[in-house]
Amino acid sequence: MSKQQPVLFSIGWNACINCGACVAICPQEAGFVSPFDTIAVDRPCDIACLLCEQICPVDTITHQPVPRPGGHNGVNGQ
Amino acid sequence: MPPTDYDVVIIGAGPAGSTTARFAAASGLRVLLVDKRQELGAPIQCSGAISRHALEQVGIAPEAEFIHEAIYGFAIYDQHGDREVHDYRRLKPDEYGSEPGKKPLGYVVDRRRFDRYLMTQAERAGAEVWLKTEGLGYRPEADGYCTVSLRRYNQAIDIRTRILVGADGLQSQVGRWAGLQTHIKITELAGCLQFIVDRVETEGLLEIVTGHEWAPGGYAWVFPKGHGYAEIGLGVIATMTDRPARWHLDKFITQSFFRERFADCRILEVQGGGVPLAAPLRTQYADNLILVGDAARHVNPITGGGLHTAVAGGKIAADYIIGHLADGLPLQDGALEGYQRLWLEELGDKMWKLYGIKTDIFHNMNIPERDRQLYATMADYFSPTSEFKKI
Ligand SMILES: Cc1cc2nc3c(=O)[nH]c(=O)nc-3n(C[C@H](O)[C@H](O)[C@H](O)COP(=O)(O)OP(=O)(O)OC[C@H]3O[C@@H](n4cnc5c(N)ncnc54)[C@H](O)[C@@H]3O)c2cc1C
Ligand code: SF4
Repeated sequence: MSKQQPVLFSIGWNACINCGACVAICPQEAGFVSPFDTIAVDRPCDIACLLCEQICPVDTITHQPVPRPGGHNGVNGQ
Repeated sequence: MPPTDYDVVIIGAGPAGSTTARFAAASGLRVLLVDKRQELGAPIQCSGAISRHALEQVGIAPEAEFIHEAIYGFAIYDQHGDREVHDYRRLKPDEYGSEPGKKPLGYVVDRRRFDRYLMTQAERAGAEVWLKTEGLGYRPEADGYCTVSLRRYNQAIDIRTRILVGADGLQSQVGRWAGLQTHIKITELAGCLQFIVDRVETEGLLEIVTGHEWAPGGYAWVFPKGHGYAEIGLGVIATMTDRPARWHLDKFITQSFFRERFADCRILEVQGGGVPLAAPLRTQYADNLILVGDAARHVNPITGGGLHTAVAGGKIAADYIIGHLADGLPLQDGALEGYQRLWLEELGDKMWKLYGIKTDIFHNMNIPERDRQLYATMADYFSPTSEFKKI
């Protein structure tokens, strides 16, 4: 996988149809999910392959780059 | 006290999980079936087409409770609107039709009602069912059994079981808990969107529209949905287009050869999901664990249909578990490999063959040629002489 800068995803909930396609394509380990059957939006993704944005049928996932975490348990300051 | 709380714990009460639960419980095993949802099947992520044969094979009666509409055949379109029709009311008029004594070829079901019905049957067969219960993880234990961590209405619960079944659908986490390779390639997951609509006429046929122009990497469909409603949808492969499925569906509705037919349509529901047009998982078992249904990618890679394979796979899984537990065999260190062998024999080998056919088509970079191949393959697939008729 790419050595990209980590990103924090944001989901436009108004358009999201809770279809789960983003979770299905996500190469993260188990548990990188939100309570709404989407990918996690409360912690950064260090893979940043952005496949979820590509697969989303309603094009409602966006992201922002966040600083690379210092420690191993790097939750960025959200 | 028995060394475990249950013989089998099943995560996910979709068609695969509920069918596994029903057969396992009916044989006398202690079965717990859990689902995180409050209403099974909702939000709907499926068009609901299933053959009568598929239901009969696993003892599901075609109840009015979950049927939207009966289906009598198929119409396959090329990108210009030329079509090949396989209407079984004409092909085999003595057998198929809506008149008394005749039968449908299949049904379009309401997944909310279908899933609830299948869960009810499992429950009546003796399975315990917990809704609002999410599977969080599992741990094989040194004594040969395993512990499953659940959360039920915010309460953490640990359950000891002999076998855990991952029937948690396309977004499956259970396989990931065991470190199985469950990743789907972006070139093999179709992003789908569908609208339930009013004011679109249908004729008791599943209509399938091929062509890169309308659904790059997948196809578009028009299904009858009962009560005069229809369903218009499509799936696309993200690497074959720069646009999301929604853009393609708008284009299909407003610009295709069906634009006049769809001109008055009113959208009643919006649904979507991902469909793996992929091969089954190469490893579908781990210590104390087997996967079934979408979680194991038991989906027909040509049609994207996963209901038949989910219920058929559920029965295979249950049959295997019943035999394995009755014989008191070990559950760890590759001991459950027999499940995968049984599944390959009964279903999987055919699915691998379909995957080969599908891959050959989509590896062709010449679009008009690929369109022709897909149209011919689909038309043939649904014909009465197809060797794959029964999947
Ligand atoms: C748009 C679309 C149209 C389709 N149309 C058709 C069609 O016409 N015909 C056809 O045959 N197939 C169709 N399919 C495919 C079909 O929907 C699936 O193959 C089928 O639903 C698979 O059943 P399943 O039981 O394996 O999984 P699912 O039906 O996905 O069930 C999984 C269950 O597990 C639960 N779950 C998930 N994770 C957890 C957890 N951690 N804890 C507790 N519960 C959990 C979920 O809530 C869900 O109830 C379509 C798919 C899509 C996306
Ligand atoms: S793929 Fe898009 S629409 Fe589907 S659940 Fe994820 S964010 Fe929502």
